[in-house]
Amino acid sequence: MDQSRRNFCLGAGAATVGAATLSTAPAEAAVARKGGDPAHRWAMVVDVRKCVGCQACTVACIMENDVPENSFRTIVSTYEVTEHDSSGTYMLPRLCNHCEDPPCIPVCPTGATFQRRDGIVVVDNTVCVGCAYCVQACPYDARFINHETQTADKCTFCVHRVDAGLLPACVETCVGGARIFGDLNDPGSTVSKLVREQDLKVLKPEQGTQPRVFYVGLDPKFQGRVDGTPTLWRPSAHAERSLAGKEHA
Amino acid sequence: MSFTRRLLLKTTAAGGALAAFAGGFSETGRKLAKGAWAGEKPENAISGNAPKPEFRVDPTSGDIALTPGQIVAYTGCIGCTTLCGVRVRVDTERNRVLRVAGNPYTPMSTDPFLPYGTPVQDSFKALSRFQEKGLNGRSTACGRGNAVLENVTSPFRITTPLKRVGPRGSGRWEPIAFDQLVREVCDGGDLFGEGAVDGLKALRDLKTPIDPAAPELGPRVNQVALITGVPDGRESLVQRFFQQAYGSINSVGHGSYCGGAYRAGSGAVFGDTKQQPHAKPDIANAEFVVFIGTAPSNAGNPFKRQATLVAKARTDGALRYVVVDPVLTNARAAAAGERADWIPIRPGTDGAFAMGIIRWMFENGRIDDRYLSQPNGKAAEAAGEAGWCNATHLVVVQKGHPREGRLLRASDLGWVTLDEKDRYGDKDAFVVLDPATGAPVAHDALTTAATLFHDGTVATGTGDLAVKTSLTLLREEAMRLDLRAYSDACGVPADVIGGLARELTSHGKKAAVNAHGGMMSGSGFYNAFAVVTINTLLGNLNWKGGTIVGGGRFPENGDGPRYKLASFPGQVKPSGLPLGRNVPYERTSEFKARKEAGKPYPAKAPWYPTAPGLTTEWVSSGIVDGYPYPVKALLLWNANPVYGIPGAHRFAQKLADPKTVPLIVAVDPFINETSALADYIVPDTVLYETWGWTSAWGGVPTKMTTARWPVLVPRTDTLPDGQPIQLEPFLIALAKRLGLPGFGPGAIEDMDGNRHPLETAEDWHLRAGANIAWLGKQPVPDASDEDIAFSGVERVLPALKAVLKPEEWRKVAFILARGGRYQNQAEGFEGDRAAHRFAKPLQIHNEAVGTSKSSLTGRRWPGTATWMPPVFADGTPVSRVHTPADWPFQLVSSKSVLVSAYTIGATRLRHLHPENPVGVNVEDARRLGIRTGDRIRIATPGGAELATAIVRHGVMAGVLAVEHGFGHREYGARTHVIGDHRQPEVPGIAAGINLNDLGLVDPTRTGASVWVDPVAGTAVRQGIPARLERVAAA
Amino acid sequence: MDTNIVEIINVTREVAWLPWAVQYFFLIGLSVGGLLLSLPGYAFAREEWRRLGRVALLVALTCGLAAPVALLSDLHQPGRFWHFYVVLRPTSWMWWGSLFIPFYVTGLLVHGWACFREEFQQQGRVDSRLAALYRLAALGGGRNDRLIRGTGLVVLAGAALVALYTGTEVAVVKARPLWHTPFLPVQFLMTALVGATGLVLLLNRFAAVTDHEVEVQANRLLAGALGGVMVVGGLWLALGLFGIDRTHAEALESVAKSEAWRVTAIWAVLATALPFVIAVAKPKGTGLLTGLIAVHSAWMFRWTVFIGGQTVPKTGAGFYEYALPAGPDGLLGIVGTAGLWVFLLLSITALLPTPPRSAPHPVRAVPAADRAVAAE
Ligand SMILES: Nc1nc2c(c(=O)[nH]1)N[C@H]1C(S)=C(S)[C@@H](COP(=O)(O)OP(=O)(O)OC[C@H]3O[C@@H](n4cnc5c(=O)[nH]c(N)nc54)[C@H](O)[C@@H]3O)O[C@H]1N2
Ligand SMILES: Nc1nc2c(c(=O)[nH]1)N[C@H]1C(S)=C(S)[C@@H](COP(=O)(O)OP(=O)(O)OC[C@H]3O[C@@H](n4cnc5c(=O)[nH]c(N)nc54)[C@H](O)[C@@H]3O)O[C@H]1N2
Ligand code: SF4
Ligand code: SF4
Ligand code: SF4
Ligand code: SF4
Ligand code: SF4
Ligand SMILES: [Mo]
Repeated sequence: MDQSRRNFCLGAGAATVGAATLSTAPAEAAVARKGGDPAHRWAMVVDVRKCVGCQACTVACIMENDVPENSFRTIVSTYEVTEHDSSGTYMLPRLCNHCEDPPCIPVCPTGATFQRRDGIVVVDNTVCVGCAYCVQACPYDARFINHETQTADKCTFCVHRVDAGLLPACVETCVGGARIFGDLNDPGSTVSKLVREQDLKVLKPEQGTQPRVFYVGLDPKFQGRVDGTPTLWRPSAHAERSLAGKEHA
Repeated sequence: MSFTRRLLLKTTAAGGALAAFAGGFSETGRKLAKGAWAGEKPENAISGNAPKPEFRVDPTSGDIALTPGQIVAYTGCIGCTTLCGVRVRVDTERNRVLRVAGNPYTPMSTDPFLPYGTPVQDSFKALSRFQEKGLNGRSTACGRGNAVLENVTSPFRITTPLKRVGPRGSGRWEPIAFDQLVREVCDGGDLFGEGAVDGLKALRDLKTPIDPAAPELGPRVNQVALITGVPDGRESLVQRFFQQAYGSINSVGHGSYCGGAYRAGSGAVFGDTKQQPHAKPDIANAEFVVFIGTAPSNAGNPFKRQATLVAKARTDGALRYVVVDPVLTNARAAAAGERADWIPIRPGTDGAFAMGIIRWMFENGRIDDRYLSQPNGKAAEAAGEAGWCNATHLVVVQKGHPREGRLLRASDLGWVTLDEKDRYGDKDAFVVLDPATGAPVAHDALTTAATLFHDGTVATGTGDLAVKTSLTLLREEAMRLDLRAYSDACGVPADVIGGLARELTSHGKKAAVNAHGGMMSGSGFYNAFAVVTINTLLGNLNWKGGTIVGGGRFPENGDGPRYKLASFPGQVKPSGLPLGRNVPYERTSEFKARKEAGKPYPAKAPWYPTAPGLTTEWVSSGIVDGYPYPVKALLLWNANPVYGIPGAHRFAQKLADPKTVPLIVAVDPFINETSALADYIVPDTVLYETWGWTSAWGGVPTKMTTARWPVLVPRTDTLPDGQPIQLEPFLIALAKRLGLPGFGPGAIEDMDGNRHPLETAEDWHLRAGANIAWLGKQPVPDASDEDIAFSGVERVLPALKAVLKPEEWRKVAFILARGGRYQNQAEGFEGDRAAHRFAKPLQIHNEAVGTSKSSLTGRRWPGTATWMPPVFADGTPVSRVHTPADWPFQLVSSKSVLVSAYTIGATRLRHLHPENPVGVNVEDARRLGIRTGDRIRIATPGGAELATAIVRHGVMAGVLAVEHGFGHREYGARTHVIGDHRQPEVPGIAAGINLNDLGLVDPTRTGASVWVDPVAGTAVRQGIPARLERVAAA
Repeated sequence: MDTNIVEIINVTREVAWLPWAVQYFFLIGLSVGGLLLSLPGYAFAREEWRRLGRVALLVALTCGLAAPVALLSDLHQPGRFWHFYVVLRPTSWMWWGSLFIPFYVTGLLVHGWACFREEFQQQGRVDSRLAALYRLAALGGGRNDRLIRGTGLVVLAGAALVALYTGTEVAVVKARPLWHTPFLPVQFLMTALVGATGLVLLLNRFAAVTDHEVEVQANRLLAGALGGVMVVGGLWLALGLFGIDRTHAEALESVAKSEAWRVTAIWAVLATALPFVIAVAKPKGTGLLTGLIAVHSAWMFRWTVFIGGQTVPKTGAGFYEYALPAGPDGLLGIVGTAGLWVFLLLSITALLPTPPRSAPHPVRAVPAADRAVAAE
């Protein structure tokens, strides 16, 4: 039982229940996977050095997946970072990590969230009760409740495209060429090569989730929760309303 | 309390409680009642509402299976002026664009891009997961490009011709029939119950001079003026109508408020201040680039191509670059580490910075002597150079000499005798010194290097004449101030300037500088001149890794090779003096009159002999003051000067007064800040509905033309013959009603002399396509049936077949199927030189500039790069009028990485980035007690606005950074009522501020003005003096 | 110079567990607390605790009935609640909860019936139109202490499971350091007791005649519970402050920088210390005040944990702003659950008016062992 799973069963008395139910090793978890082609293990490498912060990925994802207004399956967090008197813009694409050991899955009380045999973590919107437990459990804020369907929503790695032999929308249109998508099971794939050859990092490694979205050039300052001044504008339903009419001085 | 009262109370309470419960749980109840689907049921259990993929790729063969009901078409984007070729996925049944990405055939969206001959089916393969082709062959649309499809279905679109109700700008319109529109615009009359208005018919007077006393102004037809903005590839038709057929000289684009100052400075170096050629760094191959006032990947043009190349080059390639900018943008990506750097600079002082670099180069012997010393193209070629310049050419410096400031010519030395008209022309050689003999020789007589530096005399028939080489003049200019003084002026430490200069000169020809929007200051022209001169001193033009002018376009509008589109019988050659006064004042009657009166200077308002047309002057002195002559009718097409020019908003009131301009007609899909003031608005179609032939405005080594063709059925109303109402039928109908040549039946002649009609948009654009198809050594191949089937071109095939000849339509289809015509990537360079070179000499000293005079002071402008602080028109430094003590801040503006001015209506972009808080430097903020989120008040001598602050390290001290594209008053920020339909009003569209609302007038001028660069006449949006105060907490 | 980071573009994740969840955890906590408070008087038949126990039982019942409704509303697909029951998802504490809740609530109803059976019987003897109904409800019996104890023990097990799952469900969420502490379940339980005691004090105060004995008893209990809360809170803080334990350090760290959270902390300390002092110093006559504060602090604790906790971004900088919406997903929902609770309370108290105090409990003299027999 790995650390994250052990941590999962906290609380007095829970240990017994937990131990009985959560001892599922990742290997067994993999057995529980369904759908998809086990020949593949899809993954993404994001080369942060190449990201230009154009948000093409963000908007493409919205258009491709009909993501409801003011919701985002992916976003390129953009920061001004100043160190040693030198400032730069740090652009960090974020999306679901399609974790190998995803905490969003065990919490799901209905089984709506599951992992395909090719590693893609998806939500069956016909099963989901919209309890949002998975939303809480994801350490990356990758999930949200889709207010149109009233079910959990997140990046699917554009599973419908991948299954059709295409690339995810955000990858196709990545202006900087920062997003690289491919099959970890194929040793010749670009992602496999990068994983072998580069010093890749993941977000929040201490969560033990084993993300399958890797980063080149990930600055440790941005690996976890970012310590800084938050954005002024929070895209949300009331953002539009609260920005009242124009004042003129 | 009695029992009954208690019971009553309790029952009431229980009732109330129950009601509260019912209210609170209403939603739950509603959802429960809906059963299994409390929300909307999406298409698919896993992928939700994602439409079916556009095609499927067989994992083993790579074969493509198309998805019925969808097409993938390669067409053009107008999300910004980059005008990329994109691929658009259309749901044909719903006539909607599902998503946009890049066209793999075009360098605008792809690197490396596909060989042009690639079958369309294979292009789809190249985008897919098949053999991971799609990763390397990735073809993209940017964030805006992905969102701009919202413009198609925008609730703010107008779809029918509008005529104003009530006064201009009232926001009330009536929809009118197309015929009525054409009739009223042509015939005029008492159109608004405000008295008679002249229509275009009455105003087309090609003979009567505007002012008999000033014949140079030209005929009255010039009083009809046209402003065009986004050059979306239909300009050739517009010019055919407006200039060649209607006959007015007054057509102007947005250059003067785009990057005009940069282009003017570049034009000075490239020796053409009217066409203003410019070169771009070859990012893919460069080793070191300094971006001074342009922000690749944040803005810059071509935005997306530069972004792609910069990202790749700084990571996988050899590129290191530095962005010199008062504001930190996305251009300096922190993750790129050492490969990207940012150096803050004080606004409007790039000339000091550049001259500092130039001085350092001279002092340290780091100029490219070999390149600079070649007196002509042949010598340069022999010396292994890829271009040449006039560094060695002698300039007359004799004080008071009539030729002072001019380049010495063979005829000046009596070596040739030429007709007056040929004198000082191409046949009249320049003069250089032969280093072997020290004697003057014709520049084209030498086969080797000429003397670079000389300050002395040459003997002429009429005595000795003081001369210097161009480079000597530049060196003197550079040495005028020491590095410290330059550093003090621009705020960049002297050692940083020196260090940069050292780095810049350490990469041979694989180093470059570049500029653009950052030059739009009160010293922009000379700043840009200085910046571009650095490239000359590096000798990097036409070199791989240096700067390149690019391959340019396949011109669609020439006289052939298939159709004569450039000319037609009966065409007018417009004459007269343009409204922008971009001609020498000294040639006007006004000058003569004033000279006779003994005081030739100042002119009533400035003249700009070395500039192209200037919208900046049009909207102020031109239209408002009627100087040099009043405008009777104003046409606007895709332009929004009221929003885009700093300070122009103050003339909105004037424009709204029919006495200022009696007739205003706008052609635009949206109601913008300018067209809101029009009398009539003609609905134009939007991007994916339109035709257009566009190209890159630089930075692409190969020749290219992007084809934009309608992949959607336009959403504007249709005419009885089925044509959608848009620009083209409007122009054609006007032309026909006015009886203009060049339009209607038989208006287009082919190369065999057969005549063809110009009755529809297709009549023009498809024939233009045929011209493109036949350009070059051999025409493009025929489109295969498969190409046609895969590309969605099927949709327009009937039009192709109807308009074009049997041997033509498949070739045009070949182009449309690939979204344009593109020279193959491999042909961009020949070895380490650009295949498409700029062959003319670059100017170290530009005599046209060096001999032009300020029409206010009569003083001559310097002919080389120099450092000149921001000034007003009469040369008064701005800081003397608006002192830093009073106005301690300077406003600058940078483009939003996400929005362009007219994509503000796209909700998906706005939700991502709903406002443009103004960047305030941390130290300044601390001093004024301002925190991120606070409301601040920014005042300039031109106005005051409230804004939100964002406190940043990435803004230089003393600078206020405004992101451009926000602070709208139209586009949906305000309701317009059309007939009885109210357009929605979305406050979010008005969010934030527009720097231009704070733009200045020029206090040294009389009459209407906006602050412009005194030489280039270009809008000043950088370095506007300002004050800042905190108004309220977040 | 220190590193300085300014977020230029990022998105907010809105809270996904809505105020409904706060209401649920509040009510279910109060119910469990109420049940625990009722046990001495009923299940363990300690007569001196019985009057307090009766009020507590009312708390347990009313809150226990209202809570699942709030929980249902927190599901975005409430019509699919049955999906819980057609799968086996033992890894999910929420799934376990879906089993525990009905078990507890059913047990509570049975237990409540057992406890009130005596009163049903009495009401059945009064001449009223409803007498027959009361007699039916009493199922022909009266007080049965064995039944009460038996059902009491069962429902105690249910309550324990509910307390366990509600606490653990939240505490296992590693993604939220603030939640992810073994203390949380304990804190939930302690504050539940505080809240339940507070509500007992309030109901007691609002009953026709305030029972000062109950008030003093409850205030003493309250002081004890608050003391417990303070000890646990102190430990939590200490572990966090001294970085003894990583999870606590992270939990503290996640909010330490926020002004709003500091205010909340001070508030929490005050809301604990103040009633504690009052309850200890002057247990009589202060029930309204201490009760109000206690109920409020139990609610605040949950509000802070759930809503506040969700305003701590998992990756973004700073804190999300939460504005309480007016509709069902906000204020109206809160008011709605309160309405439901009030309605339940009024209904139950209308059916079972407080027995007159003057009549001393007739059974007091009867030896416990005989009661069951006597009642039959
Ligand atoms: N994202 C985006 N890209 C675009 C467009 C768009 O609307 N949005 N529009 C396209 C168009 S029309 C154009 S013309 C190009 C323009 O492309 P750019 O020239 O790259 O963009 P600008 O933002 O106009 O100006 C560049 C930078 O100049 C800086 N600057 C301001 N004042 C000064 C100064 O005095 N000195 C120096 N050194 N820098 C200064 C600004 O902070 C800004 O970052 O972009 C094109 N690309
Ligand atoms: N403060 C500040 N001011 C600036 C700038 C800045 O950075 N800061 N940038 C400047 C620059 S670089 C430029 S180029 C100018 C631009 O200024 P302009 O060229 O005057 O105007 P734009 O706002 O680009 O929009 C032109 C018009 O094109 C229309 N349009 C948009 N899409 C379509 C379409 O698909 N079809 C048709 N037919 N029409 C369409 C829009 O409705 C709009 O009315 O602004 C300049 N002004
Ligand atoms: S919201 Fe849906 S997917 Fe997430 S945990 Fe609940 S039931 Fe599972
Ligand atoms: S990133 Fe979050 S949603 Fe995605 S698999 Fe990991 S835990 Fe689940
Ligand atoms: S893979 Fe698809 S769903 Fe995921 S972020 Fe990219 S576009 Fe969105
Ligand atoms: S599309 Fe690529 S370059 Fe642009 S923001 Fe997204 S990840 Fe970065
Ligand atoms: S750069 Fe401009 S033209 Fe190109 S895709 Fe983006 S918005 Fe469209
Ligand atoms: Mo521009």
